Amino acid sequence: MITYPRWLDRGTGKEPVLRLLGIGNAGVNIADRIAVRASLPLETVALNSDQQSLNASVASKRIALGPMTTHGLGAGGDPEMGLEAARESMSELRQSVEGADVIFLCAGLGGGTGSAVTPQVAELARANGSLVIAVVTTPFQFEGRRRSQQAQEALQGISRHADAIVHFENDRMAEITAPRAEAEETFAACDNILFQAVASLTRLISCPGPMAVAVPDLLGILHSGGGGFLFGSGEADGGNRAHEALEQALRSPLLDRGRLLHEASKVLVHLSGPRSLTFAEVAAIMQEISKNTAHTSLLHLGVSVARDESAPLIVTIIGHCGAAARVEPATPALKVETVRASSPALFVEDAVQFTPPTPSPAEPKTSAPKVKQEDLPLEPIARGRFEKVEPTIVEGEDLDVPTFLRRKLKK
Amino acid sequence: MAREKIHVGLEIGTTKVCAVVAECHRDGEMRILGVGESPSRGVRKGEIVDFKNATQCVHDALADAEDRSDHEIKGVWLAISGSHIKSFNNRSAVTLPEESTITAKEIESVEFKAKEAGIPKEDVIIHSVIQRYYVDGQEGVIDPHGMMGTKLEADFHIIHGVTNRIQNAIRCVREFDIDVEDIVVNSVASAQVVLDEQQKQAGAVLIDIGGGVTDYIVYKDGAVCHSGVIAIGGDHITNDLCIGLRIPIARAEKLKIEEGSAITENISANDKITLKNDTGFSGRDIDRLMLNMIIQARLEELFGILRKRIQEVVPEHILGAGILLTGGCSLLRGIREAAESVFPGTPVYLAHAQAVSGPMSAFENPQLSTCIGAAKYAQAVHAEMPDESLLNRLKGFFSGRM
Repeated sequence: MITYPRWLDRGTGKEPVLRLLGIGNAGVNIADRIAVRASLPLETVALNSDQQSLNASVASKRIALGPMTTHGLGAGGDPEMGLEAARESMSELRQSVEGADVIFLCAGLGGGTGSAVTPQVAELARANGSLVIAVVTTPFQFEGRRRSQQAQEALQGISRHADAIVHFENDRMAEITAPRAEAEETFAACDNILFQAVASLTRLISCPGPMAVAVPDLLGILHSGGGGFLFGSGEADGGNRAHEALEQALRSPLLDRGRLLHEASKVLVHLSGPRSLTFAEVAAIMQEISKNTAHTSLLHLGVSVARDESAPLIVTIIGHCGAAARVEPATPALKVETVRASSPALFVEDAVQFTPPTPSPAEPKTSAPKVKQEDLPLEPIARGRFEKVEPTIVEGEDLDVPTFLRRKLKK
Repeated sequence: MAREKIHVGLEIGTTKVCAVVAECHRDGEMRILGVGESPSRGVRKGEIVDFKNATQCVHDALADAEDRSDHEIKGVWLAISGSHIKSFNNRSAVTLPEESTITAKEIESVEFKAKEAGIPKEDVIIHSVIQRYYVDGQEGVIDPHGMMGTKLEADFHIIHGVTNRIQNAIRCVREFDIDVEDIVVNSVASAQVVLDEQQKQAGAVLIDIGGGVTDYIVYKDGAVCHSGVIAIGGDHITNDLCIGLRIPIARAEKLKIEEGSAITENISANDKITLKNDTGFSGRDIDRLMLNMIIQARLEELFGILRKRIQEVVPEHILGAGILLTGGCSLLRGIREAAESVFPGTPVYLAHAQAVSGPMSAFENPQLSTCIGAAKYAQAVHAEMPDESLLNRLKGFFSGRM
């Protein structure tokens, strides 16, 4: 019987193992970025059928897919070929997901390898009892109908197995850069957004802090219940960091410059900063965000503190909008049903070997008690006649509050 | 030509809307014909929050100005403010073919390139002010026109703001079929009339503290090197008093104007101000020390923020002409002393519009600096396009004969 650590147990003191699998060319790119730039507690694995891209990769583990099928030349945009390669390297794939509590799957859908292999790995990882979060992109419109169709099929395949899908449309991402920007810059910016998404999700799950985000809350938002995924992230340091970071986050194209936040039914805000992060900054950011969201939306707040004193303040906004049925995050029993019902022919014999995970429905509640974050003890701040206007925030201080109150001149 | 060119400057401020009608002579002189004012409603922190009310106020002020100046207003130069207005310095360069002289085309393209700098999508560039040119790396070129060179570089100070917010102010005026000829940022307008050429050369900071916002502009070597807006103004002091002393807003405003000061020295603890009772307000004794302390704290904080921002671009000691305070809030007692305590060693002056003639009450009032400045800016812009106006005049001449 495979144990099924569906939710990370924060009580045991054991660091959860987070692993990122970059699948296909685009996925390997992200894995490289993570491996090079971020000081994140994340293992990176590069999976590709293209030997060349693997050779250049700096991921901690590199796995060649289907060396016999593709001869290390890549799947050439053909999902059939990708599937063939996955079939050949099944044992390696299984190995790659073993022993991880959380698995991020990064891939650019629409091609050969990413589209075909990602759903398979998602299924393997899921069966292995990991929490599976897929971070995927769908192709630009100008890449043609064929590719978007392949991407859509792959997306459906993944959504059957993954706990959550973070889905970026390349078309929308391209809006980040100015219309006249160089092509390379635009691609780099797209990659960067994916990187930010993975990095902030990792921080969200793994970083300790005075106010951790409960995993059910996160999944509740990420859950693939239709509708759109909103993501914005910004980082800044220096005196005015709170304001700047927030502004950057809101400016994200995936938030449509803050406008989409109004439509979000659930919003999760995560702040990660150095020890010097003040409560006033947290309050100022939250105030600004709540101004940007609808009154009925559910706000979750998480705060984590980095050990590093010089760490920048990072604001991450994750939301879900559209016709999202209130999918309960903790319905694994149901999910298992779908997994079994949809077991593709490829994995018939493997599926028999797996004992379907049977988590107790009560588990999430006990292991990760839901913190009522909307009951923040925010002090009412006296802003007088400026109550309803845009606040003047300089260096993280709300200057509409009388100076003498902030400096505590009055007895 | 019976009358000289007439320009109208309009400012939609947080406390008042005012319009200045000024007659501009070709030699650069300016005479104020009339000033129209109306207390402002629907404006907070220099930006319109209640369109209908603000429109009404603009109408009142323009009507008042027409009455007083006996001039029918057709177009205005609108002064713009608000915390969305930001600025930065940018350098651009163009390369010329060998052995060629710099023409207006190159100068235009170097400015165009400077404007291409990345501003947020929703923003628009309001001003691009030339700071200095470099020809083949040679510094201090004032006008490169006609010079030989292979590389023309230029430093520009670029001021930009959010398009929609600016549009709102413009729409407010257009409601009455009055044309907005152009817009000008508050600080740039004020500098037109408050600072003279020597002060700009020597290095000066102009701080215009209004009701809702504080605009500032820094000059060095005759060129703008920094400008900006902080959304803090006299209203904040009133609000602080209202919260701190627990008195109604209207009372706080009156108290600030009549008794308020930013000096806390030499006040005995027993010094009280008696507020008479009124409907809805029972009389109270106000501690003068408390009153001044609240004002002082706010002003010192404001100057502190300004000092930090100014120091990022210019060291204080090279500001030869010092700091000039203008705007309605500069009438507050002790504001000069408060500024001096924050900027030690730098002279601080109270200033108002210079080099204009007309009713003294108009140009000596620091509240009107921006508004007069907007008219002066119009004059300066027109003076810079002599070719066009000459052509127009000729056209008029010929058509008149035919």
